[in-house]
Amino acid sequence: MRQRIISQRICMALLLATSLVLTACGGDSGSGSSGNSSGKPVKGGSLTVLEDTAFAGSWPTGLDPATNTTGGANISMEQAIYGGLFLLRADDDGSNAKVEGNQAESGTLSDDGLTLTVKLRDGIKFSDGTPLDAQAVVDNWNRDLQAPCTCKPTWQLAPDGIKVVDPLTVSVTFTQPNAAVLASFPASNVNWIVSPTALQQMGEDAFKIKPVGAGPFIVQDNQLSSTLTLTRNPDYFKEGLPYLDKLTFQSIGGDQPAYQALQAGQAQAYEGMNTTPLIEQAQSNGNLTVTIQPATSPYNIQLNTKIAPFNDEKAREAIYRATDFDAIAKGLFKDKYPVSQSFTAPGGLFYPLEVKDYPEFDLDKAKQLVQELGGLTVNLGTISNYVAKQIITALQTQWEKAGIKVTTNDLQLSALVQQFQSGQWQAMLQTAGAWDPAAGVGVSFRYSSKSPFSGIADPDLDTLLAQAAGTTDMDKRKDLYTQANQLIADKRYSPFGLAFAPTNLAVQGVAGPGLTTQIPAILVNTGVIWDEVYRSNG
Amino acid sequence: MAVIDTPLGVSEHPGVEHEEAVRPSRWRGKLGVWIPAGLVVLIVAACFLAPLVFDLPKPIGGDVLDSYLPTGSPGHPLGTDGNGNDTLSRVLYGGRASLLIAVTVNLLGLLVGGTLGALSGQIGGAVDTTIMRLLDVLIAFPSLVLTLAVAQAPGPSMRNTILALAFFSIPAFARVARAAVLRLRSLPFMAAAELCGTPRWRVLFRHLAPNIAPQVITFGMLGMGIVIIIEGALSFLGLGVPRPNPSWGNMIADGQQSLSATPGLVLWPSLALLITVLSFNLLGENLRVRWSGR
Amino acid sequence: MTVTTAAPRPRVSRGPALAHSPVLRLVVKRLLMAIPILLGVTALAFWVLSLIPGNAAQQLLGPEATPEQVHQLEQQLGLDKPGIVRYLDWLKGAVHGDFGKSLVSGQPVSELLPGRLAVTGELVFLAFFVSLAVAIPVALLAARRPNGVVDRLSMMIGTAGLSVANYVLALVLVLIFAVGLGWLPAIGYEPLSSGLWANLKTMILPSAAIGIPLFCFYGRFLRSDLVDQMQGEDYITTAQAKGLGPWQVLVRHAFRNSSFGLITVVGLNLGTLIGGTVIIEQIFALPGLGQLLLQSINTRDFVVVLAAVVIFAVVAVLANLIVDLLYAVLDPRIRYGSH
Repeated sequence: MRQRIISQRICMALLLATSLVLTACGGDSGSGSSGNSSGKPVKGGSLTVLEDTAFAGSWPTGLDPATNTTGGANISMEQAIYGGLFLLRADDDGSNAKVEGNQAESGTLSDDGLTLTVKLRDGIKFSDGTPLDAQAVVDNWNRDLQAPCTCKPTWQLAPDGIKVVDPLTVSVTFTQPNAAVLASFPASNVNWIVSPTALQQMGEDAFKIKPVGAGPFIVQDNQLSSTLTLTRNPDYFKEGLPYLDKLTFQSIGGDQPAYQALQAGQAQAYEGMNTTPLIEQAQSNGNLTVTIQPATSPYNIQLNTKIAPFNDEKAREAIYRATDFDAIAKGLFKDKYPVSQSFTAPGGLFYPLEVKDYPEFDLDKAKQLVQELGGLTVNLGTISNYVAKQIITALQTQWEKAGIKVTTNDLQLSALVQQFQSGQWQAMLQTAGAWDPAAGVGVSFRYSSKSPFSGIADPDLDTLLAQAAGTTDMDKRKDLYTQANQLIADKRYSPFGLAFAPTNLAVQGVAGPGLTTQIPAILVNTGVIWDEVYRSNG
Repeated sequence: MAVIDTPLGVSEHPGVEHEEAVRPSRWRGKLGVWIPAGLVVLIVAACFLAPLVFDLPKPIGGDVLDSYLPTGSPGHPLGTDGNGNDTLSRVLYGGRASLLIAVTVNLLGLLVGGTLGALSGQIGGAVDTTIMRLLDVLIAFPSLVLTLAVAQAPGPSMRNTILALAFFSIPAFARVARAAVLRLRSLPFMAAAELCGTPRWRVLFRHLAPNIAPQVITFGMLGMGIVIIIEGALSFLGLGVPRPNPSWGNMIADGQQSLSATPGLVLWPSLALLITVLSFNLLGENLRVRWSGR
Repeated sequence: MTVTTAAPRPRVSRGPALAHSPVLRLVVKRLLMAIPILLGVTALAFWVLSLIPGNAAQQLLGPEATPEQVHQLEQQLGLDKPGIVRYLDWLKGAVHGDFGKSLVSGQPVSELLPGRLAVTGELVFLAFFVSLAVAIPVALLAARRPNGVVDRLSMMIGTAGLSVANYVLALVLVLIFAVGLGWLPAIGYEPLSSGLWANLKTMILPSAAIGIPLFCFYGRFLRSDLVDQMQGEDYITTAQAKGLGPWQVLVRHAFRNSSFGLITVVGLNLGTLIGGTVIIEQIFALPGLGQLLLQSINTRDFVVVLAAVVIFAVVAVLANLIVDLLYAVLDPRIRYGSH
């Protein structure tokens, strides 16, 4: 009997040991893993790219940019189907990032920031043969601006603000200067132009499943939030592109099954890996190209300055002094991501923002402050995801060393929103910023006195941020953001942390902009340009 | 999850007519009960006493600079997790949580479900039908919805996990108890008790309970293993013991997110789970053999 | 699970006239009972779902939505109506066979569910089929010679397999067969239209993860019951006295009786298993019903949740019914209404 149990134990151990050995042998230890040696682009072949169900791999409301509520997460698919008026491009190492015209020939913002003129390229047709002209764009934009999506641009339009100037030119007139309008384009739904003819013929409900655009690929089959199968668009306006014959987006439950699927040869790319041990594993796997994108949105600890305890600056400083993000970056993230002291990060447009006298980690000072306060109790919350939970657990340990009593909460989305709206929250770990701080919802989402998701009520800060979003002079904007950031540091409003960045994986032989080269993420994920992705070994 | 209605009869048998008498194997009988029981005691002792006796690091509040140390690191024989917590310590403390939950759920099931089922079987008639139909609704109800709802609304906690698990366990125990009672009802001693005018509750506690106890308790032993495994499943879905506190279930659910890179984080709690469930299963089964005499 | 719900009848009906038999009454009675059960289950599900904070609008728009945006989408989706009204609207449609459109994608539920059901159905069917197909012969062999080689070996494997969690098993299987050996895919699903083998390839590992613990359980269960029968029951002695060989006794008599217990257990399993495939579906990226339910709960898409809940409940009720029918087939006493 005892023998039986012992032998069972041995068996199980052996079984697991075998599986571990086989895993370790799954990939050779390799040469350097960044930069790939796939050589020249090759036409043809098919590629399966995996997307995490928790974010990009979820498109429950279809892929019509005007009705897709998760449009901000589905940028990859939309780029493949629609191409995009503008795209963010950069050098292979992510520097010199610029928004460039794609289906648009150019986009010009007037100096006063009130008029945007978009010139389209001539001769572009949707895959149903109808022309992508100014009227189509205007029809699209009018629909897009009604969309129930946070990917809808925040345009304050003058009456009749969107006009057809000529068959290839559209103008948009704002009532307020909008400095980040072009920077936000590639991540907004207005970037993706659908065929109005097809939309009318199919009706909205059918169209959202099998949309028609003018992009590199055509929709063959669409299983919502599961599998999207695309085939090459033979009439694509760019000669010789796309390289791939077939592109399939497959939703997957997480980094681990994605990694295994890549190892098993079932997929050739994965976007947005964020589990550090797996990233390290992938980097030592010679069959995979690992591309860590330039970071643009650092973590920050929002402090609610409107209620106790953080209405007291001393308490806020205690948090700054007790927080050691360098240790977290080193321990949890193996130094793969930089630590930031501002709401921007190395991939950001205005990086670096100089800060004087940033309140750095100083445990003794923290303890002293807590003593002076007579104790400090904090509830620290964050949205329920694996990485965020690990970080707040580490923060809890750090703060407790300074004598702060900490309770942590990882919150589901609705609970998170409730907490913010009730105004009863104390500290929240969130990300802030974007490639252009005014893009998307903008940093004022986290720092303006009018936002329900902000813990700060400082009219000076409001003014600085509003001005920075409202002037087209880049140097002036940088100066204003520097002042804003300095104000945040001086008043101890919100400690900044590491600037997390998504990592893209691709098997050897696969290459493409944003996939195996670096392009900063405008909001969350890097925009891969699928036209130019290829597989050099079929 | 399976509901076992007829007892798992494992028998020593003197042999079928035309067969040679087969020697009853030695491991049935005394050894068959004492060895798994010993293992169970060992596991419980390890989880509840060892951390006090040996100076083990705490299961939470680890130093983030010790993150993801592999098995065999100095000071951390089984390695550490992402937040630098010692895995050995977490396995032991996690065992506490998993075992506590399993015991509580099974006790709840036993007491509430067992009584309900026995009463239902004893009283019979409309009461029986009503109770059974209600239980049918509970059983037909996809537990997944309830689990996810609880995971999202009040959020994960020991108490919610126990309640969610009891939700599955009570109907199961009720059925077992009821089936056992139905079987017993036809026996002479029951008729005798009724003829004597014995009040119902007395019949229930003094006569029925001792007779259905073996089956129900055996089921409970098997239930221990089942509940521990389901707690793990709940952890995958966001319920279970709230992180960062460990339970075997949530350690497996979290560890498997980086399985290829950190297999130890899954291996050790899985082994602990396997050995514990195995011990309970063997114990339950061999107890059944002892008590039923077949 | 009750062995029979047929009331004792005072007369024995002549011949195997099923039409007058309690079997038909059983079916009708069960189907009628199913209605309040379905009502109860859907009402309970709706109520439970309404307890979860947030709604479809908030979940879809994400954490950066302004309250105005959420409110606008709520109105669009009809979420500003009170819960009871929404449930009753849905119920009205459901009773007429229209289970509504997904709140989130606008797709009719009748288009959405069949494909998902096919995936989960195939998964569960394969798991059961293979586990029983292996368990029954093994149990028979084991019971033929209790404590013999086959018996001891199968007991060892059985107890070990029973004690393994199916999600851990799934992870190990993927590591070995998909990543290590590369024989089978790690994720994904191919429908039957892509070819039988392509489809089976994607189903082997997931159904093994579910089926192996099941096989261990059924095997042990059946083996114990068979041995119980062979050892103690009088009719076995009779059969042997009549000169029937040991195999015939085992299969034609003992097994026939043991199958009751087995059927009960399988039936109960089926009812609960359909919802229990979620984690396996997640690990293998199978677009199944469990996954759909999970996603729909996350997005608070109550229309899809209710439809899925109905399916689960129907399966559970049907499973119970089939079990009872099989009892009737196997036990003449029930069929002819005597006893």
